[in-house]
Amino acid sequence: MKKVFRGSLPGMVLGILLASGVTLRAQEPQFPVATKTLKNGMKVLVQPDHSIPNVALYIFYRVGSRNERPGTTGLSHFFEHMMFNGAKKYGPGDLDKVMEANGASNNAYTSRDVTVYQDWFPRSTMPLIFDIEADRIENLSFDPAKIKSEREVVASERRLSVDNDNGGILDEQLWATAFIAHTYQWPVLGWTSDIEHWTMEDLKHHFAMGYSPSNATMVVVGDVSPEEVFKLCEQDIEPIASHAPPPPVTTVEPEQLGERRLVVHKPSELPLLLIGYHVPQTNSPDFYALNILRTVLFQGESSRMYQRLVDKDQIALDVSSESDPGFDPTLVIVIAQPKQNVDPQTCEKDIYEELERAKSAPISDQELEKAKNIRWMEFYQQMRTINGRANTIGTYEVFFGDYNKLFDAAKNYGAVTKEDVQRVAKEYFGANNRTVATLLPENEGQEKQ
Amino acid sequence: MTLANNTLRTLAAFCLCWLLVAGASAQTIKMPPHEKIVLKNGLTVLLLEKHGVPIVSFAALIKSGAAADPVGQEGLASQTAELLRKGTKKRSAQQFAADLDYIGGSFESGASADFSTISAEFLTKNLNTGLELFADALLQPTFPQEEVDKSLAQSLDAVKGAKDDPRQVLNAYYDAYLYGGKGYGRAPEGDEISLKKITHDSIVKFYAANYAPGNTILAISGEFNAAELRKKLEETLGAWPAKPVTPVAIPAVGPAKGKRLLLVDKPDATQTYFAIGNVETATGDPDRVGIRVVNTIFGGRFTSMLNEALRVESGLTYGVRSSFDPRKQPGPFGIYTFTKNDSTVQAMDMALEVLHKLRKDGITAEQLASAKSYIKGQFPPTIETSQALAQRIASDEFYGLDDNEVNQLEARIDAVTLETARQIIQKHFPEENLVFVLIGKAAAIAPAVTKYAGKQDAREISAPGFWPGS
Repeated sequence: MKKVFRGSLPGMVLGILLASGVTLRAQEPQFPVATKTLKNGMKVLVQPDHSIPNVALYIFYRVGSRNERPGTTGLSHFFEHMMFNGAKKYGPGDLDKVMEANGASNNAYTSRDVTVYQDWFPRSTMPLIFDIEADRIENLSFDPAKIKSEREVVASERRLSVDNDNGGILDEQLWATAFIAHTYQWPVLGWTSDIEHWTMEDLKHHFAMGYSPSNATMVVVGDVSPEEVFKLCEQDIEPIASHAPPPPVTTVEPEQLGERRLVVHKPSELPLLLIGYHVPQTNSPDFYALNILRTVLFQGESSRMYQRLVDKDQIALDVSSESDPGFDPTLVIVIAQPKQNVDPQTCEKDIYEELERAKSAPISDQELEKAKNIRWMEFYQQMRTINGRANTIGTYEVFFGDYNKLFDAAKNYGAVTKEDVQRVAKEYFGANNRTVATLLPENEGQEKQ
Repeated sequence: MTLANNTLRTLAAFCLCWLLVAGASAQTIKMPPHEKIVLKNGLTVLLLEKHGVPIVSFAALIKSGAAADPVGQEGLASQTAELLRKGTKKRSAQQFAADLDYIGGSFESGASADFSTISAEFLTKNLNTGLELFADALLQPTFPQEEVDKSLAQSLDAVKGAKDDPRQVLNAYYDAYLYGGKGYGRAPEGDEISLKKITHDSIVKFYAANYAPGNTILAISGEFNAAELRKKLEETLGAWPAKPVTPVAIPAVGPAKGKRLLLVDKPDATQTYFAIGNVETATGDPDRVGIRVVNTIFGGRFTSMLNEALRVESGLTYGVRSSFDPRKQPGPFGIYTFTKNDSTVQAMDMALEVLHKLRKDGITAEQLASAKSYIKGQFPPTIETSQALAQRIASDEFYGLDDNEVNQLEARIDAVTLETARQIIQKHFPEENLVFVLIGKAAAIAPAVTKYAGKQDAREISAPGFWPGS
């Protein structure tokens, strides 16, 4: 048997099965998560783990760039920055100074769907963290001087991760081409002209729209008890009034009727290739089969794509895929880094042939088993830190609508069959459903064509 | 650095109040104990049992890194490490990948200046298979010619590709120029010139000369039974024949004298990436905890003096940091950031002003207390996983450090006073002797940045290499 449970995870339940040599398929990992919905509608999830004297606290707001409109794109992300720039009790600059002076650090990220705030701190600092979070949810201030300097910061962030980053610039173009109707089409950072032009009114409107407590979920993992967290919530968070959540995004991206292609010409040593395929939203039943397919095709040096493009044909340095969680139908993006002077279309040809192979015949039993084992290892790697667990619990709660889905992941992956994998390959990876984005080096003395 | 007085007072009140709370219940963090064994063949094994997550993490450290690369063949240690899994007496590269992936395992290897490393992880239920794979790659690599050719060609393109993103190569240019292309100035990954000089023969020779049990530290942490694992290790890695290894001599290089500046021209850049600093401190420097405390205040966190000035108050950059990279011999210290082309001089001036202010005014009691609390509060997650623990004990063993690095950390932090901080600033934060490296659009910034140094150098980003040795 295991030692005393220290909250260190599914190991308690699964470790026993693992040690006995059973291959894991459908066991369900469990660890205690206490939940409470506050009177203002905010749901709070607490998972105690006393292995280190620290806490990870995440607040997920269901607002992101999909809730924006042309003219104010990038506002969610800009707003995320403003959440660190002063409220009523903690004025401009105070939040970070007070947190760091008390051993805490923080960060945040914005996606197309959510804005997420992260605090990492020693357990003794928790009351302070709640005081700060309550202050900025309830009383964010909008200092014109801070807005001005923060606009410059975001412009610098954009130069860093888009203008001077081949992957960033091509990814932006890909989304803008793959989506013609839905709000996923613009970049999370926003278009440069929008970053320069949004107004104080736009910011205030965004706060009023997205930051109702009822539109948020809090996850606390670490050296805490649910009781003390709930008590602080009742004291600091519950009195904050709720208001209407963001209006629903009703636009549905129409079916893509044929391949779309785009080219970016840029001074560069190497070309780059991204191919986006429309896939369903995260809570779709096909989520698990799609992930197994992506694992077989892209993960590890034994994966089909690596073996073909990197190892055998030696035309690429790397090939991978990514897909962010989304409330609405989103993209799986294939990323190939061709070698110097290799025409990206050569990579395309290999990729399409491997996709055809996955459509025309089922993957092998061994590949299916391998993919499940890789997913299993990843699960533990994500869940072994208080930080990884807070993010994962929150992501399942927000995108699947229930953190318990996390415990079903092993079962759901276990239930995926070779036929399921073949079916999703056929259904989503056709030529008509893809957008192909290519970056071609255009160096001094070279012709544009 | 202007904060309204009332803000400062408010801040002081908060700090006092909360520091008391924090101080009252602070828990001291301790390293979990580990066992050290030296096998008969000389292999040093460190075992740290950590239960709760069914993973076992391996961290092997071979005491020969990029500093052991022959001059002109930079990248040799990296290539040797990366090729370990690309063909063994038992398995082809493809078979190794298939066996490793089948159990969801990972195996990554490479070289830094001081040593070569292998990191591997397996589920506890697959520990036997994992250990067998690990030993196969470490003890029996065959370096097939075809795999060597593939790896060299890919690495060559990877160096070129990295130059498309200045973020990825700023450190390589900075180290190269700072050390004059010698010692730690030689690129661990190699460059467009040196990678072409590496042959199958030189890789085989590097392996034969450096990979030996007596030259290796293996740390294993995670969920396992130490007694059982010890027996298995003796059966597998214990069979690795002992052989003598000539230790790598890394010449100590002192700080650069005077000021010099390298401008790397990237004609399409919309912002300038720059590094400013000098050769500074080695691992095990008795001042190391004090340096950490002062650097936290200067450029090691969001509210650091540098970030407050260049980001929070002026919006010149998305972020700026300063860091020390201690190694066996003195490693680089630098201020690193980026800013749009037309604010290059403004940002560089401001970074130098903040440095000057640190040297002139020192730090305040409030800053010192804040940094101490910050380092202590943020430390525990850095040793949370078996992987982090394995890497930490392997590295400490190599550098001759022990668990007191963790166990005494809080006491050592507490011992830093305003007076020690003052001495550390004068000793370790140079101002008169500085090396500048900029990657940016020369046509836009070259004339304006000549003012920073008497000696000016320039090169094109497309030119092979980073900075030649002589």
